[in-house]
Amino acid sequence: MGDAFGAIRAVARAELRVGWRATLLMALVFGLVAGIVLGGIGLAGRTATAYPRLVDAVHLDDARALVAADQPQLAAAVPSLPAVAQARTDEAWIAQLDGPALRFVSIGAPTTEHEALVDPVIIDGRAPARDAPDEIIVSEPLAQSSGLGVGATVTLGMLTLDQVSRFDVGFGPPAGPTTTVRVVGIARMPSWGGALANVQAGPAFAAKFLPDIVGYSIYVRFTPDADAAQRFGAAFARTAAVVDQISPSVVSQYLPHSVELPSATVDPSVRAAEQVLVGGLILFVVVLALGGLQVLGQSMLRHHSARGGTQGVESALGMRASERTAARALAAVGAAVVAGIVAGGVALASGWLEPLGSQARFEPTPGFRPVWALVVLGGIGTAVVFLLVVAAAAAIAGRRRAAVVPPVRAAAINPFRRWPAAVLGMRLAIHGRVGRGGVPAVATVVAASLAMAGVVAAVAFGASLQRLVDTPARYGQAADLTIVDAREPDVARLVADPRVAALDVGAAGSAELADGDAVEVASRDVRKGHMPIAVAGGRMPAAPDEVAVGPRLASRLGVDVGDTLEVRRVHGGTVVLRIVGKAVLTSQNQGGIGDGVVVTPDVMRAITPGQPLYDAAVLAVPGTADALFAELSQGLEVFQREVPTAVGNLADLVTLPELLALVLAVVAGAGLVHALLTSGRRHAREVAVLSVLGATPGQVRATLAVMAATTVLPALVIGVPLGLGAARVLWWQLATATGVAGDLAVPGRLLVVIVPAVLAGALLLSLAPAARAARTPPAVALATG
Amino acid sequence: MAVSASYEATARAGDAPLPDAVPETAPGPGAPPPELVVRGLRKTYEAETAPVRALRGVDLTVGHGEFVALMGPSGSGKSTLLHLLAGLDRADEGSVTLAGVRTEELGAARLARLRRRHVGLVFQFFHLIDHMSALENVALAALVAGAKPAEATERARDLLDTLGLLEKQGERPAALSGGQRQRVAIARALANRPTLLLADEPTGALDSDGAAEVLDLFTRLHRDGQTILMVTHSADVAGGAQRIVRIRDGVLLDADTSGEPS
Repeated sequence: MGDAFGAIRAVARAELRVGWRATLLMALVFGLVAGIVLGGIGLAGRTATAYPRLVDAVHLDDARALVAADQPQLAAAVPSLPAVAQARTDEAWIAQLDGPALRFVSIGAPTTEHEALVDPVIIDGRAPARDAPDEIIVSEPLAQSSGLGVGATVTLGMLTLDQVSRFDVGFGPPAGPTTTVRVVGIARMPSWGGALANVQAGPAFAAKFLPDIVGYSIYVRFTPDADAAQRFGAAFARTAAVVDQISPSVVSQYLPHSVELPSATVDPSVRAAEQVLVGGLILFVVVLALGGLQVLGQSMLRHHSARGGTQGVESALGMRASERTAARALAAVGAAVVAGIVAGGVALASGWLEPLGSQARFEPTPGFRPVWALVVLGGIGTAVVFLLVVAAAAAIAGRRRAAVVPPVRAAAINPFRRWPAAVLGMRLAIHGRVGRGGVPAVATVVAASLAMAGVVAAVAFGASLQRLVDTPARYGQAADLTIVDAREPDVARLVADPRVAALDVGAAGSAELADGDAVEVASRDVRKGHMPIAVAGGRMPAAPDEVAVGPRLASRLGVDVGDTLEVRRVHGGTVVLRIVGKAVLTSQNQGGIGDGVVVTPDVMRAITPGQPLYDAAVLAVPGTADALFAELSQGLEVFQREVPTAVGNLADLVTLPELLALVLAVVAGAGLVHALLTSGRRHAREVAVLSVLGATPGQVRATLAVMAATTVLPALVIGVPLGLGAARVLWWQLATATGVAGDLAVPGRLLVVIVPAVLAGALLLSLAPAARAARTPPAVALATG
Repeated sequence: MAVSASYEATARAGDAPLPDAVPETAPGPGAPPPELVVRGLRKTYEAETAPVRALRGVDLTVGHGEFVALMGPSGSGKSTLLHLLAGLDRADEGSVTLAGVRTEELGAARLARLRRRHVGLVFQFFHLIDHMSALENVALAALVAGAKPAEATERARDLLDTLGLLEKQGERPAALSGGQRQRVAIARALANRPTLLLADEPTGALDSDGAAEVLDLFTRLHRDGQTILMVTHSADVAGGAQRIVRIRDGVLLDADTSGEPS
C-alpha cells in the first residue's frame, strides 16, 4: 500500500504540474456556480419561510374580536369564553388624519401589560415608550400609503361613537380630542386591518384617551383543542346575542362585533406568489446546477481524455484504475478546497439577499441573515462534488483508453440522404459522446429544452404579470376615483362635470347562497359613459335572472359561465341566477379581488339585507384625475385608484420573471455555446476524415451547421410549447388565487423572434469550429484527434 | 504540432480554376503520364524547442500502375510526405503534381475535389467514423463526391463484397477486428475509384494475420492496375511492393529513376 501511495503521490504531483491552471480555473468557476446555487437555495428557503417566521415572531393570535365601546360587558366576557387560553384587550379609536385628503385611521393601544401575544415586528425605529402618550408606531401599509416615516408628526382628530354611528350621512369635523403624535417606528405584521389597528400606541396613550374609545380589540390565544375555534366562535355569538338584547350598540352597522381568525385567513395570493417565486428559484437553481455539473464534467473529461495516453503508461507500469483515479483526485484536492471556499463565500454573501418580491414584506429579520449550515455544509459539499466529478472523469477517461469496445450491431441502415452533410451532421450531433468524452446528446437536448422552456415560461408569465399590473381594470380598479358613501346630489354634480368621462354608482352588500355560504354582492348603476370593467369571460349581467361571478369565487364554487347560482331572497325563498360572465371587481367590503358576484340593482335589493354601502366610481377625462381628486377630497371621502394588496404583491414580482428569463437565457446560452464549440472540437477527427474523403470547406461548414441545428432544434420544438404550457398552468394558478383573469399573455413577437434567433445563433456559432477546421490541416487534426 | 501557416494561407485562398496539367516528367510515346510527380518538396514544423525540418527537398515520381513502398525509420518524414502528397497539409517549398495538376496552386475547395477524384487514403489507425456502420463509412466517401444515394450504397456494398466484408456491412467499426477495419478503410479509399491509393503504415496497427491480409489485398489491387504509394517502416511489408524508395531525415536515399510503368 505504501508503494502504491508513493506512486499515487508521484502521479498526482505530475498531474498538478501539468494541469493545475486548468483545474484551478474550473474550481473557481464551479465554486462560483455552486455558490450561486447555494445562495439560491438559501434565498428560496428565506423566501418560503418568511411568512411562517413572521407569524412566529409576532406571536400571532388565534382569533381577534372587535367589540364596540358601548358593549363593554361583551369585551369583558371574551377572555373568559371557552377555549381561551390567553387574551389581551386593547382600546380602539378611530381618528381623522390631518392632511389634504379626508382619511381615517384606527388606533389601538393596551392599557395593561400583556404576555407575548400580537407583538408587531418593528422594522424601523422602536416601540412607543410606556410613559409617552405622544408616540405611535404605524403599519407598513399605512406608512407607505401616507408617506409616514420615523420622526414624522401627525395630528389625529378622534371621532366619537356617535359620529361613527352616522358614517353614512356625514358627521362634520371630528368631535373627539385632537392630539399630535410622533411616529417612532414602522411595524410589520402578516396582515393589518379589522380589529388590528394600523396605528399602535402605548399604555400612556390608552390611559390619556380612555374616555374617547370607540371599541375594543381583543386578541385571543386558544387552548390546544381541535375544536377550539368553533367553541370560541359559538360562545362569542351566544354572548354577543345576549348583550345585543340587553344593550344594543349604536354602531352595530359600521362597527359590528366580529371574530376573525388571522392565522387561518392567509391571503391565497400571498401563498400563490410565494409558490411562484420559490418555484422559479428552484428552477433557476436546478438549471444552474445541472449546467455547472455538465460544464465541469465535460471539461474534466476532456482534460483527462487529452492525456489519456498517460494513464495507459501508468497502467502498463502496474497502476490499477483506482490508483490512477485516486492520483488525479489527490491532485485536485487543493482546487476542490478553493471551490468549496468560493462556494461558501458566495453562499455567505447571499445572506444579504432579502426574500424575493412580495415575500420581503413578511421578513421578520431584515438585513444580513446567512444560513450557516448552508455555508459550511454547502462549501464542504461543493469540494466533495468537485473531487467526485474529477475522479469520475479521470476514471472514465482511463477506462475508455483501455476498454475493449463490445461488438455493437448498428441499427438498421437508414437510406442515405442526398446531402451527405445532413446525414453526417445529424449523426455527429446525435452521437455526441461516442469515444470523445462528451455528455450524451440526450442530456444536452433535455438540458437545452428545459432551459428554453424556463425562458419561455418566465417571459410569458412576466408578460401576463405586466399586463395585469398595467391594466387596473383587470384587477377591478377601472375607476380613477371612488367616492365612499356617495350621495345623490354629489353624483348629479359629478355627472354634469365635463371632467367626468364615466360614472357608475355601485352598491355593495352581502347575500347568502342557497347552501348558506355568504357572498359579497355588488351592483353597478351606470350614470354616465362606459366604465371598462374587466370581464374575464362572458359579459356583465343585464337581466334580473343574470349574475356575473368573480373568478376566485367561480373557482371556489366550481361554477362557470352557463351554470346557475341559487341565492336566498331577503324575504324568503330563493332566486336562481344564470351565470353570464366572470367579472373582476374589487369588493368595497373585506373581500378580495374576484370574490363576489355582480347582479342588477333590482336583484341586489332582493337578496341583500340591510342598507348597502354605496360608492361612486369615477373615470376622469385623461389628465384631470388629480385635479378632480384634490377638489373632491376637500369635502368627500375620496380614494384614488389603489392597487389592491394582492396585486401589489404581484407587482413586486414583475421584474423577477424577466430576471429569471435573463439568467436562464444566459446560463442556457453559455451552456449551448459551450456544447456547440466543444462538440466541434470533439468531432475534429470526423471533420478531418470528411476532408480526407474530399469534402470541400463548404461541405464541412454545412456539416457543422447541420450538427448545430440538430442540437438546438429539439430544444426549440420541445422547449417552447413546454414553456408556454408551464406558464399557462402557473399563471392560471396565480390568477385564480388572486381573483383576476387567468388568460395568459402569450409573447407572440418574442416567439416569432426566438426560434429563428436561436437557430441563427447556433448556425453562427457553428462557424467557429468550421473556421478552426479550415485553419487546421487534416493531417494535424487526425494526428491529435 | 504547430498548424502549418502555409496551409492556412492557401486554404483561405480563392478556388482558382484547375490549372492546365503540367507533366513534370515527359512520358514515353503512348505511355500514360505519371500519377504523381514531386519536386523539391520541403516542410518545416515549428516545435517548442527548435524547428523540425521534416522534408529537405524531396523529388519523387510515381508512374501509372506502380506500387511503390516509401520506407524509412520513425521520424524520417515519410508520413509528412504522404500528407503533403494527399493535400492534407501544405509544403513550404516545392511542387506536387497529381494527375497532372499542381496542387500547391489550388484553393481548399479545388484541392478537395482533386483529392476526392484522384486520391484514396488509408491510415494506420483506420480513421473510420465510429457511429457509422461499415457500409455507411464506405458510402460516405462516394456521397461526398456527389454520388446518388443508391449508387453510393451499391458501390459500397460491391466494395465490401469484393473485400470479403459484405456480411459485416451493418457492423460498426468497434465490432470489427483490426484487419476488418483496415479493409473497410481500404474500401472507403477505393469508393471513388481513385487513380492513386496512398497508404500510411496500413499494417502498423495489425497483427501478422491482419497485415498479411492487407498486403495481399494491396497486391491484388496493384495487379488490377491500381497505383499505390505505401509508407512503411517495415522491410517485410515494403518487400511486397514493386519498388522501394528509402527516406531518412527528410531526404530520399535512392535515386528516383523510376516512374515509368512496369
